[in-house]
Amino acid sequence: MSLLAPLYLFLGAAAIVPLLIHLLRRRIGTRVDFPAARYLARAEQEHSRSLRLRNILLMLLRVAIIVFVATAAARPVARWAGAGHGPTALAIVLDNSLSTSAVVDGRPLIEQFRSAAREVLGQATASDRLWLVTADGRLRGGSASSLREELDRVEPLNGGGDMRAALARAAIVVRSAGLDSRQIALLTDGQRTAWSQSIDVGDVQVLTSLARGTPPPNRAVIAAMPRPERWTPRGAVVARLLSKDSTTYRITLAGRSLARGTAGPNDEIVIHAAPPERGWVAGTVELEPDELPGDNVRHFAVWIGAAPGVALSAAAGPFLRSGIDVLKSAGRITDGRDIAIVPADELSSLPALIVAPSDPVRIGAANRALERAGVPWRFGAGGPRHEESTVSAAPGVAASTRTSTATGGEGADSARGSAFTDVSATLRYELVSQPGVEADTLARVGREPWIVAGPRYVIVASPIDPAATTFPVRAAFVPWVAEMLTERLVGEPGGVVEAVPGRQLPRPRWADAIESASGVRAVLGDDLQVPPQAGAYFLDRAGRRVGALVANPDPAESMLERFGPDDLTRRITAQRVLNASDRAQFTRMAFRAAARRSVLEPLLAIALTLLLLEAVLVRVGHRTA
Amino acid sequence: MDSGSAVQAVRADLFDPASLAALGRIEIVARWIVDGFMSGLHRSPRKGFSVEFAEYRPYQPGDDLRYIDWKIAARSDRWVVRQYEEETNLRASIVLDVSKSMAWSGAHLRDLGGGAEPIAPARLTKLAYAERLTAALALLLLRQRDAVGLVRFDARIRTAIPPRARTGQWRRVVAALEDPGSGLASSAPAALEQAARLINRRGMIVLLSDLLMDIPDVERAIRGLRSAGHDITVLHLMDPAERDLPTGGEAVFVDPESSLEIAASVADVRAAYRETVDEVIGEWRAMLSSIGAGYELIFTDSPFGVPLRHAFAARQALP
Repeated sequence: MSLLAPLYLFLGAAAIVPLLIHLLRRRIGTRVDFPAARYLARAEQEHSRSLRLRNILLMLLRVAIIVFVATAAARPVARWAGAGHGPTALAIVLDNSLSTSAVVDGRPLIEQFRSAAREVLGQATASDRLWLVTADGRLRGGSASSLREELDRVEPLNGGGDMRAALARAAIVVRSAGLDSRQIALLTDGQRTAWSQSIDVGDVQVLTSLARGTPPPNRAVIAAMPRPERWTPRGAVVARLLSKDSTTYRITLAGRSLARGTAGPNDEIVIHAAPPERGWVAGTVELEPDELPGDNVRHFAVWIGAAPGVALSAAAGPFLRSGIDVLKSAGRITDGRDIAIVPADELSSLPALIVAPSDPVRIGAANRALERAGVPWRFGAGGPRHEESTVSAAPGVAASTRTSTATGGEGADSARGSAFTDVSATLRYELVSQPGVEADTLARVGREPWIVAGPRYVIVASPIDPAATTFPVRAAFVPWVAEMLTERLVGEPGGVVEAVPGRQLPRPRWADAIESASGVRAVLGDDLQVPPQAGAYFLDRAGRRVGALVANPDPAESMLERFGPDDLTRRITAQRVLNASDRAQFTRMAFRAAARRSVLEPLLAIALTLLLLEAVLVRVGHRTA
Repeated sequence: MDSGSAVQAVRADLFDPASLAALGRIEIVARWIVDGFMSGLHRSPRKGFSVEFAEYRPYQPGDDLRYIDWKIAARSDRWVVRQYEEETNLRASIVLDVSKSMAWSGAHLRDLGGGAEPIAPARLTKLAYAERLTAALALLLLRQRDAVGLVRFDARIRTAIPPRARTGQWRRVVAALEDPGSGLASSAPAALEQAARLINRRGMIVLLSDLLMDIPDVERAIRGLRSAGHDITVLHLMDPAERDLPTGGEAVFVDPESSLEIAASVADVRAAYRETVDEVIGEWRAMLSSIGAGYELIFTDSPFGVPLRHAFAARQALP
């Protein structure tokens, strides 16, 4: 039992009044003449025992009345037996992550959660405050009937959602209700990856119901990536599978089958192709449906085009020429004028891979050429810097414009990092950006940019010459040149954004619209809302496709490993965490477990009863006279 | 119509005692009471008339025509009736308790719970009530041609008037009632013995007291009187407040005679008190009945006719 207004307990001190009256009643100041006092003395003598008993009983009754009233004034609340429950703020947190769509005992888990939630709502009274929070953080409030309708509309997500955020949000709303009894009823499958971190919900009781039993075996495509990200036109689809046994797969591109086959347990599939499609194309990697169908298909998008024609300036140096020859012989590029590789002072058009001029006297001409081409970078007026400096990859920026939010980001960084391993610069120019520049720094020397890239251009701050830098003599030089030419500079600027369905991302600066699955174009605002359904959605700029948004389930959801009740309890810090062993217990404990009902009414009823008893006792004494 | 006429018109013996007493002095009130009482009695050949002529008096409507002196009527044209000296065969002595406890009425009780108003209406003290009753009883008996005496006592004998039936005896009795009294204690046994000595031969003794005294002492005295052939009637005077204890609150209750002090919460002890009073009344009634004495409990808010009727009935039971 706890008290909402404990200071009122001091009223209980008034209980001393009847006690004092009882003890001090012989010190009465009023004196009256009464000739029949002898009768009074005899009455007290003959009835002393019953009188004393009655006096003590009256004293105890009066003391008890005061104590009960004082306690009632302190507004006690407690859990006590009886039908129904007190007004309760209850938030049902329903885990509708992808893993809850797994079929267990013939029914999807989420369906079982819905049923349990309906039973809990069936116990709600008009005085309760109710909410439904799902794993995507959506909050719905209202009556029990309206929440039942909302339950029918809850669909499993294509991702893991954020159960911690959902729980935190539920805690905020139940606390804001201003009711004494606060409870969160959590229905979850206890997916290990979703509950990897702890959460503190404060002074709210949490009642959990965990999916029991062993999760079903699951087969999933946990990665599907085109390599490279732009095919000119050759490339490969790399897929990683999650499966404990062999499984059949199918890879599609632009709606047609690209490949079929059987993969081993947890296999990685690499399918090379040179498809005839051009432009941005969507594809899938598919497995046979199983108990968790949501992760049997994974989407990807790739740009496919002809090998770019490259025009190499003679002043670019022998190392670039050798590299271009290698790429030409490999068919990655051809002779042409699609992309220029030139010293900055010879720049006349974009796209171009721009290197610093060998002669410092050409810096002025180089800057003018950059200005004419609209490149927002200049070489510094301080002239070349002759000092040996180590080159390092700039952190946090992908090699291409591709943005990754789920997988691949770290791999790309490490790949890019390896391109500049053991690279130094002994002659370099300072690169000065112009106001409003939007560019990526791909490599730097100390804190200064060394290679920068923007829409349709890449600038290297040193001449590609062993006298200026060790980069051209490193093994990673030619692949880097190939990546720049076939991924960054080829085609329209843009890329692929990968995300989990339902998330909200900042809008890519190179896109202004998104196409729905049916091809309807919607203008983007400041944010990019990822559709709730998995798929590849093309991104446009000025009416032309410049990239794609690829929404795939969180691969962590495919690893069906569950926490036990104790593990989950350890991760939730709350006023009290209760684990229901089954659905019936969960329903039984909802409301009741948290419902600390006011004890005010029972205490007042007892006090009133005692008061009546006292009045009867006094009245009986009067009447029997 | 003056107040006296009004009282007579409504039978003074049935009037509220306190209101009646406020209308006049003891002798006046006593006459009204007796007149009212007599008018309510059934006519009786024994009442007031005897065989030995005593005197004449003017005829009054209702007088028995047999006693009209027709000779005088014929001679002087006056209607007179003959009155005879009834043979006095009863000597009565009224023993009146004038101790301090008698000088109390329930109007003295205030609401002990804090109220300032009396909790009982204006009421005669037990002594005032007893004095008026004594005067009326004496007058009634004297009109019966009985010899009436008076003994007033508190801790000692205050007044002792031997029984006489002559004219002027009533005035002596009334005058004695105006003497001070209200001593501290009550010594009824001595007073009763004194009354018996004054009567000389067997007679009637009427004790008017609140009986706030020890029963065994009184019992011994009455037993002695009964053995001497006296008829005893005890009129136990009690204020209604002494029976009901109608006040509330708490107080120290002080016996004005013995200075006994009892601290009590009235609400707590009222039931037990009333039970005790009933027990005491029962004890007095049983004791007096066992020795052949009459006993009547008289409350001071009862009209004077009530105790007078009891006393007169006791007298009539005697030869």
